Amino acid sequence: MPERPTSLLHLWLMLLACCSPALAQAQGNYEIQVYGADTLPADNLMVELHSNFTVEGQTDIIDGVYPTNHQEHETLELTEGINSWSEVGFYVFTSEQEGHGLQWVGDHIRPRIRVPESWDWPVGVSLSTEVGYQRAVYSPDTWTWEIRPIIDKAVGRWYFAVNPALERTWHGPDVNQGLGFAPSVKISYDFTRVVSGGLEYYADYGRLGAFAAPRKQQQQIFAVTDLNVSPLWEINLGVGIGATAATDHLIVKGILGRRFDWGRHSPID
Amino acid sequence: MGSSDAGAAAGDAAYGTHTGAPNGSDLTLVLLAVPVARRQGYSRPQSHQKDVVRCVGDAFDRYHRDMISRRDLLQLSGLAAVSSALPALAQDLAAPDYKLEIAPVTLDLSPRHQIKTTAYNGQVPGPLLRFKEDRPVTIEVANHTDRPEVVHWHGLFLPPAVDGSLEEGTPPIGANATAHYTFIPRPAGFRWYHTHTLAMDDLTRAQYGGQHGFLIIEPRDHPARYDQEFFLALHDWGGHLLASEDGAMNPSYNVATINGKTIGSGEPLRVKQGQRILLHVLNSSPTEVHWIALAGHGLHVVALDGNPVPTAQTVPMLRLAPAERVCAVVEMNNPGVWILGEVRKHVQAAGMAIIVEYANQAGRPQWQQPPGLIWNYAQFAARQPDDEPTESPIIIPLAFESKFRGHGSMEGWTINGKSYPDTSAAPLKQGQRYRLQFINKSIDDHPLHLHRHSFELRRLGAPLAAASNSAAKSIRGIVKDVVLVDSQTQAEVEFTANNPGATLFHCHQQNHMDLGFMMLFNYA
Repeated sequence: MPERPTSLLHLWLMLLACCSPALAQAQGNYEIQVYGADTLPADNLMVELHSNFTVEGQTDIIDGVYPTNHQEHETLELTEGINSWSEVGFYVFTSEQEGHGLQWVGDHIRPRIRVPESWDWPVGVSLSTEVGYQRAVYSPDTWTWEIRPIIDKAVGRWYFAVNPALERTWHGPDVNQGLGFAPSVKISYDFTRVVSGGLEYYADYGRLGAFAAPRKQQQQIFAVTDLNVSPLWEINLGVGIGATAATDHLIVKGILGRRFDWGRHSPID
Repeated sequence: MGSSDAGAAAGDAAYGTHTGAPNGSDLTLVLLAVPVARRQGYSRPQSHQKDVVRCVGDAFDRYHRDMISRRDLLQLSGLAAVSSALPALAQDLAAPDYKLEIAPVTLDLSPRHQIKTTAYNGQVPGPLLRFKEDRPVTIEVANHTDRPEVVHWHGLFLPPAVDGSLEEGTPPIGANATAHYTFIPRPAGFRWYHTHTLAMDDLTRAQYGGQHGFLIIEPRDHPARYDQEFFLALHDWGGHLLASEDGAMNPSYNVATINGKTIGSGEPLRVKQGQRILLHVLNSSPTEVHWIALAGHGLHVVALDGNPVPTAQTVPMLRLAPAERVCAVVEMNNPGVWILGEVRKHVQAAGMAIIVEYANQAGRPQWQQPPGLIWNYAQFAARQPDDEPTESPIIIPLAFESKFRGHGSMEGWTINGKSYPDTSAAPLKQGQRYRLQFINKSIDDHPLHLHRHSFELRRLGAPLAAASNSAAKSIRGIVKDVVLVDSQTQAEVEFTANNPGATLFHCHQQNHMDLGFMMLFNYA
């Protein structure tokens, strides 16, 4: 039966959700990405466009927030490498939806540092923090802060990454909720030098120490492929489903990135 | 390492220390034509210092004055080693000219960098070995590690049994065992010795460690007159895997040294105004190409891989791929305190430099940054090449390609589509001239080494797209045992099959040879 894989996936997500106590938050779905630990080299600029379309999402206006169903989110991400162990990213979030047109949603800034390569750790480790504003009609919490540890490892053809992110609302309904736990995980396999495929898992369990009820948690899993066509390009495509009532049920995502190296490089450097 | 320390130590300690050999050696040694590794209980050497190196010098000369028949037999047999099973007489006969102890050591690369590695006689580089051309020599090698070892005598024309390659059939020296290598050293020139084991994913072993040393086979005439000579080994340490732009993992390094020391951590090269110094530079790095310049001075290249070049040239810098050697004469005519070091800033910052200090000069060492990287083998070729030989060589095309093993792994390698041990070539005919066509389809440069033979560079740098009708100039006269073939180019070398036996051909980049970039030539 063709539905079986999806059904199994749903079942798996339901089980996962049932195992986690929690409280729900709205989910942005503006940048759907599990970070790797690498930072951009100095004098490099990465320009990424995150395109996410909610095929099946929330259809009602809740607390003044527009429904997510059939929203097209376009997010421009600019990341500049500072040195061999740090970078800064900047986001411009937009949303396009019938009846609302193309709207600016908000901006975030994201500094990141990493464990230098020379430390020769067995896994890649970096720490990102993200601060920003989004309009209340797209997110009830307007000012938020996130700290995201990033751990990854490539072993042969396998790649693993985990981002156990912690979120804090500075302004909005959840300002008294304390730290929320929003982990994401990626596992992928290199089928060829160019084509990798795998799964990405995104969750928001709610307040740390008092997770939300499972139905109010966010649980999404994406089947993704990365196309490694060039060191200068980043291409990631995926289809994701959400298993809980608080999660958009079907999302298609894409990331197209181009790295620009504007540093002056000499063979003697 | 200058002639004033290790080099002189090898020579000075040697003369008059040997008491000669007993009678009856010819017969006994003929019986010992099969190499045997001698197992013995572990006995830690009392000292890892240079004094364990013994050279017999003049006494050795006297001993071998009447050894013509023995020498001939050695040549025929490929005599390799002596065994503990032999009577005491044989033990005495095999009294080694040098002893090498392979053992773990902790090295101070700098006051800030200490590294645990394995080395010969507790030093990096190992002791300088000086042989006389065509005079048999015995080296005792004691392996005080828990892994089998083998010592490769790089650039020598040896039988497979003693060449130091397990792939060719040289017996391994077992853990905590001792073996003797006996051979006739040739050809004259600057050679070296090193471990020939595999490292695979352990970037502390094999050539990633400290098992390398200089070896000089003294010629009847030196290629250049000089007042003082220095031996310099370039090496990279602290290897770890990093993702690189070719989509695979590659070794990267934390520290780079000359003679096992970062800049300022070792003794300077002390020179006098008006001297001509001879630099013997070896790149013992497991994987990295290095560029070396001496600020304020030109480098007059007289030999490549120990073989005199047809056209000696003064150049601003040297380029050495892994396993390559360059001999260069420097006129010390610019008094001061200078830096001899890697041209690329980040490598010099990692430590690869040494101070050159004129007598009665002081001050901060000076560096003059070259604006670019310049090197070209062809400039040392014969100006007026001999006519092409009437005998056409047999052409052996060898195409090199990488094999993807995942973004989290180093790449595998193939020669004509196959990885070692599945690689193969048609048997060589003794006396036949061959032309090896190196077709490098990969995006890496490869330092290619042929064991037990030398080859002549014939054509270099032809872009693959136009290799068949390339205008790449034919060259003559440069004889080497390693050549760096650039990415996406074709190069050609010629050699005469004049040393029967299994002959290993491989990329000298440790991770490449570990992952399939090797092939055995066999003689028909």
